Amino acid sequence: MADKRVTIQTTRYDPDKDEKPRLQSYEIPFYDDSMVVLDALNYIKSNVDGSLSYRWSCRMGICGSCGMMVNGTPKLSCSAFVRDYWPRPILVEPLNNFPVIRDLVIDMDDFMHKLKSIKPWIIRKQEIPLGAGEHRQTNEQIDDFRQFSECINCMLCYAACPVYGLNNEFLGPAAIALARRYNLDSRDQGLKQRLPVIADNEGVWECSFVGECSVVCPKGVDPAKAIQQSKLDTTMRFVLPYGNRD
Amino acid sequence: MPANWWTRNRHYFLYIVREFTVVPIALWLLWLLVEIQRAGGGPAHYSPHGSPAFVVFSVITLLFSLYHSYTFLSLAGVIIHFKVLDRPLPSQLIVLAQFALWAVASVVVGFVLIWFAR
Repeated sequence: MADKRVTIQTTRYDPDKDEKPRLQSYEIPFYDDSMVVLDALNYIKSNVDGSLSYRWSCRMGICGSCGMMVNGTPKLSCSAFVRDYWPRPILVEPLNNFPVIRDLVIDMDDFMHKLKSIKPWIIRKQEIPLGAGEHRQTNEQIDDFRQFSECINCMLCYAACPVYGLNNEFLGPAAIALARRYNLDSRDQGLKQRLPVIADNEGVWECSFVGECSVVCPKGVDPAKAIQQSKLDTTMRFVLPYGNRD
Repeated sequence: MPANWWTRNRHYFLYIVREFTVVPIALWLLWLLVEIQRAGGGPAHYSPHGSPAFVVFSVITLLFSLYHSYTFLSLAGVIIHFKVLDRPLPSQLIVLAQFALWAVASVVVGFVLIWFAR
């Protein structure tokens, strides 16, 4: 194992020096079968080139910081094992469909604005004092929204979505999945506040159901399902006479 | 986005195929409208268009419409959220029910067409 080596090709881009992003190759030791692409990048930064820039934090698929394109597919680099690609070179690029700030670091402002626009928190018409007790839910009520609450905001779904790539006004998979998460929560009463954003032209109706968002999600969330179900819900609210009731 | 984005992976390609299938279906249906208009003159003045090229086109359109229906019904199972006794129905069951309804509807339509053609 000690003699094995792997070639990592990464995007390099310094906005002060480079006109456009370029690729740079590094041949480094493939020292351990449990080595992931993030380990390879950390090895390069520690031992070869300290100027390589990328985001990461937990290294265990929870924080959602280290999303990158690995051989053309959106992946959490902490969950992409080198052994699955070796002996071929591994191409590591910044997430598709986002502006690049530097090397593998993308500008996530657009996503953060969209996330905030759907108000991803529990909204109550009237807050109940803490002393009045907890909001109880049955297992079935939790099951309604549980899978959508697994989203870690890693933005892999946005990198996989050709609709967002063609029109970045689209609200996008993760934001809609999270909106659905709160709309399905029996404790929440904020549906009417979220509807103008979700039912907008650039909301659910922009999606043409490619479905790749659900394929690449590292947490098993199904944003495509959330979007299509939201389409059905907004339509029923429009069509049915009692649809506009809370 | 480069114009060839849909060649990047299998899912993108199958998505484009799914969307493309409606083009020949739409053309075939337009031709059906023309045939209906031609048939308006009565059986004496009507002879259906049956060139080998049109038959081949019709067979291809049939295959495309079967593929489109198959993908549509499979995906619809994901969308429909249906509860029985407070429990959500499994999406596989919904998909299966839709395919069964599709088969029944096809038999009924086929029967009606053959009945009127006699």
